[in-house]
Amino acid sequence: MRRRWTGPVLATVMIASGCGLGGADPEGGAAPAAAATGEVKGKVTLQTWALKPKFTRYMEGVIGAFEKKYPGTDVEWLDQPADAYSDKVLSQAAGGTLPDVVNLPPDFARPLVKQDMLLDVAQVDAKLADEYVAGGLDAYRFRGHQGTYGYPWYLNTDVNYWNSELMTKYGLDPEKPPASFDELVEQARIMKEKSGGKVLLMSRRPELGDLKEAGVEILSEDGTKFVFNTPEAAAVIDKYRAAFKEGLMPRDVLTDTYAGNAKLFNEGAVAWTTGGGNHITSVANENPSLAPKIVASPDFGVPPLYVQGLSVSKRTRNLPAAIALARWVTSPENQSAFAHLVSVFPSTKASANDPFFSRSDGTNAGDAKVIAFTSLAKAEVLQPFEVTDAMSKFIRQQVSAALTGEISAKEALDTAVAECNKLLNQ
Amino acid sequence: MAPAALWLLVFNVWPSINTIVLAFTNSRPLGGGRFTGLDNFARVLSDAQLADALLNSIVFMLVCLPLLTILPLLLAILVEKKIPGIAFFRTAFYTPVVASAVVVALIWSWALNDRGLVNGFAQWLGVIAEPIPFLTERWLLVFSAISLTVWKGLGYYMIIYLSALGNVRRELHEAAAVDGAGPVRRFRSVTIPGVRNTMLLVSVMVAVSALRVFSELFILSNGTGGPGGRAQSVVMLIQMYSRGFYGHFGYASALSIVLFVITVGPMLLLLRLNRKAA
Repeated sequence: MRRRWTGPVLATVMIASGCGLGGADPEGGAAPAAAATGEVKGKVTLQTWALKPKFTRYMEGVIGAFEKKYPGTDVEWLDQPADAYSDKVLSQAAGGTLPDVVNLPPDFARPLVKQDMLLDVAQVDAKLADEYVAGGLDAYRFRGHQGTYGYPWYLNTDVNYWNSELMTKYGLDPEKPPASFDELVEQARIMKEKSGGKVLLMSRRPELGDLKEAGVEILSEDGTKFVFNTPEAAAVIDKYRAAFKEGLMPRDVLTDTYAGNAKLFNEGAVAWTTGGGNHITSVANENPSLAPKIVASPDFGVPPLYVQGLSVSKRTRNLPAAIALARWVTSPENQSAFAHLVSVFPSTKASANDPFFSRSDGTNAGDAKVIAFTSLAKAEVLQPFEVTDAMSKFIRQQVSAALTGEISAKEALDTAVAECNKLLNQ
Repeated sequence: MAPAALWLLVFNVWPSINTIVLAFTNSRPLGGGRFTGLDNFARVLSDAQLADALLNSIVFMLVCLPLLTILPLLLAILVEKKIPGIAFFRTAFYTPVVASAVVVALIWSWALNDRGLVNGFAQWLGVIAEPIPFLTERWLLVFSAISLTVWKGLGYYMIIYLSALGNVRRELHEAAAVDGAGPVRRFRSVTIPGVRNTMLLVSVMVAVSALRVFSELFILSNGTGGPGGRAQSVVMLIQMYSRGFYGHFGYASALSIVLFVITVGPMLLLLRLNRKAA
């Protein structure tokens, strides 16, 4: 009898172990694979995200200077394309081939931290808090995990952008763009009436960040459940629903993705969008005639904080070089040089006094840069890193259904919270 | 033989077994998971989005099945004739097949959106006052995707029928004509029995691909599945739950098994019906 069971039991064990049920942790381990102290030399890999070909010269300069400063080092630079970067990092992490130093935004870093794949850089770098801004470091500190899991690299936030030509044409003053959601609705009404509905001002539905800006807590203090189904959150969605019902937004908002309003703005179909400090430069590539007509103004409420950083793989075999390289790329000098090339903002305290960021060159892009830089002081990470792709999609679907009036805002939020909690605790 | 068996084992048998095992776990892309018994299947039973997705997939199949079984046959009969310039029409009908599904769906989404070609033209003609929400209303979205699938599939199944029609003996048509049978009668009594097996093959292919629809609905809805996600297909749900760092492999696998079961059902039914008719 026992022998008859041996086969199936063995097969089950083999299947289970092959199906990723054993908690396989190819990169994990309590301690780094190499010592933090020691001479900086040898080969080290650095992975960035979509910097080629636009910033090839800059990166080669930074790497060349590093190799010169630390003779005997050899940096292998890998740059991954913009699309499917998360899939690439996921496959590297699962396959145990994560580069020594890797560009990970905090939401990519968190799942790797949960699997103990990234180094707590605070443990090996005592000067961290003295050199980097608190907001940047906080983005790499995760609920339930002690430590800081990345060097903040560059920061950005959202700025409001307005099409001054359309505003003037349809009875609005681009010098006095809306400064709150209520003013936005008011001006959107004027634009709709004057343009006969041909051009609209608003073109985005509320996201979790909008709820957070309205003072709604998204996640419970202990991070164990979502709690954004409050009357205040429903009131925010109801405001958007009323605007949608009045025809102040195109129907596209129901099925648009995050960047949908920027697309409509670039096409000249709507007169307002939000974007990073470098948005006008991006528009200049897609629609050169639109770029000079854009005016910028600060975000309505608490601006979102977007952080990019460099994390160090815990499995690196050359920890001294990996740490030195991550510090070098994120140093004030190198970050400033990078921020002079593109409108992003350094995460180092020493860069804060650089007049380049606080003085406009008189162009609209320069004005936008200054607004973004000023906004950074009060910017916050609005969406918790616990929110996954599936959750985001589900929340957007429910908000869209609420906008159409198919379900109430409260029902949409209750359903979204229930599903998110199910996914969070699975 | 050994390489073929190895191929089958690695790319068919193993993934299938893996999917079944994962369906009983809460496995994630990183860090593994644990057995959760029938939890994922209990969730399947109470998933409102899955109910919507199943209904969409079934409607998709029920509409596509007759259209893509009959229309390509009629088209094949039309272009089978050896008349000057017919090659042009064969090529024209086949062109959508060689175009990428993604590119075609993108072109359709430009044509069907509120400011697109179709609404713009209809408004210009004064036929409609407000744009028709082809891409933002559940059933309009599903039927837009069905239209796209039928348009794209016509040429493909037409080619299959063309080769089948070549095997229907000409003498049978001639004999039927001599006996006084008109074109409709000859179609019913000679052509259809002659291509019955091909029709069955086409029906099975259409049913399976319709139940597994993804690209058309995904691109036309911009990946959102429409307001409330009510225009999603089952494959879109599987994609939604399986991707990213936090992909829910367990639940996605349970959904895959559900899809497999409902795909096999109509296939067996069609085979059984054919056996009876034969």
